[in-house]
Amino acid sequence: MLIKINSAAILGLDAYQVEVEIDVQKRIPGQTIVGLPDASVRESRDRVRAALENSGFEFPPGYFTINLAPADTKKEGPLYDLPIALGMLVVSEQVTAKEIENLCVVGELSLDGGVRGVNGILPICLSLKEEGKMRVLVPRENADEAALVEGIDVIPVDNLKAAAGYVDGSVPIEPHRVDLSALFSAEPEYSLDFADVKGQGHAKRALEIAAAGGHNLILVGSPGSGKTMLARRLPTILPPLSINEALEVTKLYSVTGLLDDKQVLVTTRPFRSPHHTTSDIGIIGGGRIPRPGEVSLAHLGVLFLDEFPEFDREVLEVLRQPLEDGKVTISRAHSTLTYPAQFMLVAAMNPCPCGNYMDPVKKCVCSPFKVQHYWSKLSGPLLDRIDLHIEVPRLKKEELLSLPDGDTSKVIRSRVAAARKIQLKRFEGSETLCNARMLPRQMKEFCRLEAEAEDFLKGAILHLQLSGRAYDRILKVARTIADLDASEIILSRHIAEAAQYRAMLFKGGG
Amino acid sequence: MGMESYNLGLKGEETAEKYLVQQGYAILEKNFHSQQGEIDLIARDGKFLVFVEVKNYSFRSLGSPLGAMRKSKRDSILHAAQTYLYKKNIKDTFCRFDVVTIYRKLNGAQAIELYKNAFTS
Repeated sequence: MLIKINSAAILGLDAYQVEVEIDVQKRIPGQTIVGLPDASVRESRDRVRAALENSGFEFPPGYFTINLAPADTKKEGPLYDLPIALGMLVVSEQVTAKEIENLCVVGELSLDGGVRGVNGILPICLSLKEEGKMRVLVPRENADEAALVEGIDVIPVDNLKAAAGYVDGSVPIEPHRVDLSALFSAEPEYSLDFADVKGQGHAKRALEIAAAGGHNLILVGSPGSGKTMLARRLPTILPPLSINEALEVTKLYSVTGLLDDKQVLVTTRPFRSPHHTTSDIGIIGGGRIPRPGEVSLAHLGVLFLDEFPEFDREVLEVLRQPLEDGKVTISRAHSTLTYPAQFMLVAAMNPCPCGNYMDPVKKCVCSPFKVQHYWSKLSGPLLDRIDLHIEVPRLKKEELLSLPDGDTSKVIRSRVAAARKIQLKRFEGSETLCNARMLPRQMKEFCRLEAEAEDFLKGAILHLQLSGRAYDRILKVARTIADLDASEIILSRHIAEAAQYRAMLFKGGG
Repeated sequence: MGMESYNLGLKGEETAEKYLVQQGYAILEKNFHSQQGEIDLIARDGKFLVFVEVKNYSFRSLGSPLGAMRKSKRDSILHAAQTYLYKKNIKDTFCRFDVVTIYRKLNGAQAIELYKNAFTS
């Protein structure tokens, strides 16, 4: 006897349909799984056996051939446990297959018959919707995540017994629903606030510009001046994610297994802060079957690299391509996958190994060679891609003793959101989401300068010896500053402010 | 293997046979040999053709000696079972491998245990 049960597999960020075919023959008992299963799929045999017996079913006799079709793609992960167990129950006639048509089944089994959550439920449900499948049987743990996709019925199950009851038609289960707009309406709450930071008005302004336009930024300052403190508060002023953006980010977190039952939808922009010992593969993504790296996990959010020059040089250089393209394509023997990586790079570093270079009070003890060596870790092409170079000086005595001042995160966030709104309207109908990702054609159209500003920019190019890319980037930053100003045309003061954010490193670079 | 343990084995198989008949098994064959294996008892239990391995221990033991079923032993039983099916031209029949263990408990009483579907290929 033969039965087919629909299931799914993940490749990159997308899912495809897998048919679990189970055939049983009356001969010496045994089991074989074909269709390129990896170790965790092959081990399902033992989990299924224990789960069946501990759920009050009989482990059926006979020789089972289980085929995961299409047979030419590698299958990984434990999500086939549940379809295999259900299939065995059906072929051994312990359960009738009333509800198996048009039903996709995924889930890992625990030995006691419980159904555990699996990764990648969101992409699976999205692909089901595309293919016009109507129902999906998922572990209870994943029910909220699955229900984010509107238009399919999500049947949550706690254990094998409940799943069998549903397939049997004897114990109907109501489809699970979530209120998508309720997940979004809640105002994000942060334990940090920009008003905590004393002084550093210049840096705060730069962070506001960076948040408003999605620009890359580097903070350079002596130890204890507040670089990390500032960067950690950046998420509190980032504009909110739209529903589609949130689904895109959630998909990435779903396939990486970073979602939990408390957070089924990523509603705030990600803030990733990998340690400087992270490998290039960890940053960019990779593995036998390529997985998303930190640049992709920071998609539509912030990638914060503290102690920037301490990262391996290779790690820093691999950032160049995703910084420019907003995506990474990883090729391995098994497959070639593209992951989105439209992140905002925020880097923080000391000006020299001892940290006091250029400090007005404390003396730097580094030799010029050491300072130069420290800076040489950052290549020109990499720094060229960073729009805002910010000096974060040591706080003065008066500032240290004073109370924190400046706007709260909420106030800054509303200004940032207003500027983003202008941008979204400007780029309506194109894939661009913020000024930093403007295409050349769009720059021509939207970056109109007043005459005085144009002269100023020409002077700046000559004076700072800017590259073509730097020129473009100054224009983009100026566009964002003008947006914060609600100005249609870029004025010379906007250009001036944008250009001065580029100037600093050329004196610090030694 | 001395005469003593051979006799012990024979006696164990007799005990097991009686026990299985009590349980409703119909014994079809005893001590079936193939080139690379042997099966102590072949019986029919309802729809199943059952290949039975008898484990008989003379010493007193805390638990059952099921742990003594090594992979090599299982392979030899599997081989013999396949040979049996081929020779008798049996097709389309559910098969099962059972193990009967006979041992003495610490208090000296004889214990017989039947493990249905003890292993698969």
